[in-house]
Amino acid sequence: MSGIFNLLLLQNTLRTATPVVLCALGCLMTERAGFMNIGVEGMMLMGAFFAVLGSYLYGSWVMGLVFAIVLGVLLGLFYYVFSITFKSDEFVIGVALNILAGGLTVFLLRTLFGVKGSFSDPGIVPLPTLHFTWLEQIPVLGTLVSGNTLLVYISWLLVFLCWLLLYKTPLGFHLRASGEAPEALRASGVNPDRMKMLASVLCGILASLSGAHLSLGYLTMFSENMSASRGFVAVACVIFGGGNPPRVFLAALLFGFIDALGIRLQRYIPSDITSMAPYVVTVVMMVVVVLMKRRKKKIRQGEER
Amino acid sequence: MRKWRLPAALRTLIAIKPKQKLTAQYLLSLLIAVTLAFLVGAGIMLLCGYDPLICYAALFKGALGKPRAIGNTLAKTATLCLTGLAMSVAAKSGIFNVGGEGQLYFGGIAAAVVGARMAGAPDWIIIGCALLAALLAGGAYAWVPGILKVKLKVDEVVTTILLNSAAIYFCAYLANGPLKTTERGISSGTDSVAASFSPLIKLSNLNGSVFVAIIATLLIWYLMTRSTTGFEMKITGTNRRFADYGGIRADRLMMVGMVLSGMLCGLVGMIEVFGIHKRFITNLSNEYYFDGMLVAMIMRYQPMGVILMSFFFAVLNIGGSAMELSAGISSEVILIVQSVIIFFMAAQGGIRQSLHAYTVKRRVRRAHAREVRT
Repeated sequence: MSGIFNLLLLQNTLRTATPVVLCALGCLMTERAGFMNIGVEGMMLMGAFFAVLGSYLYGSWVMGLVFAIVLGVLLGLFYYVFSITFKSDEFVIGVALNILAGGLTVFLLRTLFGVKGSFSDPGIVPLPTLHFTWLEQIPVLGTLVSGNTLLVYISWLLVFLCWLLLYKTPLGFHLRASGEAPEALRASGVNPDRMKMLASVLCGILASLSGAHLSLGYLTMFSENMSASRGFVAVACVIFGGGNPPRVFLAALLFGFIDALGIRLQRYIPSDITSMAPYVVTVVMMVVVVLMKRRKKKIRQGEER
Repeated sequence: MRKWRLPAALRTLIAIKPKQKLTAQYLLSLLIAVTLAFLVGAGIMLLCGYDPLICYAALFKGALGKPRAIGNTLAKTATLCLTGLAMSVAAKSGIFNVGGEGQLYFGGIAAAVVGARMAGAPDWIIIGCALLAALLAGGAYAWVPGILKVKLKVDEVVTTILLNSAAIYFCAYLANGPLKTTERGISSGTDSVAASFSPLIKLSNLNGSVFVAIIATLLIWYLMTRSTTGFEMKITGTNRRFADYGGIRADRLMMVGMVLSGMLCGLVGMIEVFGIHKRFITNLSNEYYFDGMLVAMIMRYQPMGVILMSFFFAVLNIGGSAMELSAGISSEVILIVQSVIIFFMAAQGGIRQSLHAYTVKRRVRRAHAREVRT
């Protein structure tokens, strides 16, 4: 068993969790602004494609990230216009966005690169891997923290920044208010729709960055449907992280841990079962969280009596 | 002279036409949305250097040009119709079932196992038992997220989506592991089933299962528009508080809708197994449920609309692959066209409102300007 539970497992956990972390942070923004975004899955997929496109065309990972961010802004605005300005069902828009993403990426893959299935090329420049020599001298922490790709560190930073934004700034306060009490916010002179737009754009950026990590950091290629429901897992993480960035981060880490563990257990258990595990565990976690909340509520009610 | 009258069946069909909210205005928007979507598609084709007219001609010819193509289109219509109704029956009951794909796989594998184990029995018994097994398996797999939603308020959209992936992997495990066939030359899949639906048009996917699909469609249509349950769905959908006041148990309704939805998906899985592949294979469905979901969403979960729209989407779907073969453009362009239709249809109310607000504003401004001048 020592071949399974070792430091490398934790390192893999951090790596596999990163796309989910980024995407979940994005979801969190719209969630706090009062609308669910099922479309993050599609945003992630498109982000992954355009990051590869940018990196391949310009031969630089910076352009990959720029492409992803610009796309994220556009997708965020698009989602905002359809779900808030036009007041459509956000669930329908989200699902349609996912389908558009599936179709568009495959279509572009075939017409631009002329390949089916997946595109990998030495011309795609991956994200840089950062090594901190001073950190590597510390035994456990060194192996864990050093040697990850850029977006892994950015994602950690973003967890903190998101928390700061949501809980410590007036802007974050307004953003949360636009979800919880939009009328009160309007009465205080802030347009809640503006806040929702901000949340949607942030969500787009974060979701397509998570895609960029998938295609330029985690792997150096794009393949059809490579987001593989990670966006949905991120939505689940937001739900059982209770809309709080650090907790959502932990939830995403848990998912990453199960994913990484599954890959290692493939020697002992059929791979189909290990691939199934993260999804089942996520569902079970959602149930457990609800049950725990209920118990807490009951205890609180008992105290009040 | 005797007055000419419509045949009785047709007359009843017209008499019981759905009097629900597929208003003329909505249908007009639909027409505009479809036209716009086709224009978007044409734009993409032009950008990629294809002639849109040739592409679209290839599409319609590929879907309706030959008996074989028509057969395929009709078979696809049946699939879309069943999955679309599955989405509708759940959505109308107030619960979203996004997990039809998983239920489809479970229905398929259950039917395949029953079909293979019962070898020797008369065909109709095998098919009947497999049908029951598929309904049970699909329904049971939908029951889980349903009960979680009703009892614990766990968001059903997320659970059903996640359970999709879980089911697909689990069925792949079964088909690659314990239930793997011993037949030679089959890399993955269960034993072949002992009975199957016979094809109706040579070399096409249209087979006897289409009758099962028609019966199921009629039953669901009847349930949704003509029965007490359907009435309850309608009331709950229009005014939840009134429904509660009227003593409609929303929880029970949700469970009924969810399980029925799962059963329909299971049925689609069974049809795939018994009609086309003759065994369970690991890639049984190519996101069929999501296609059906789109149809249901566009037609606002109205059964009659879903039935008609399924045909249109089937034409797009089957024609899309033919277009790829003959005109050379990637068939995914059709997916883009479809999603554009949905974006516009989902937003049509809002777009109309915004346009209205804009014209009103302009009129006011003009009137104001006129006043200033005089």
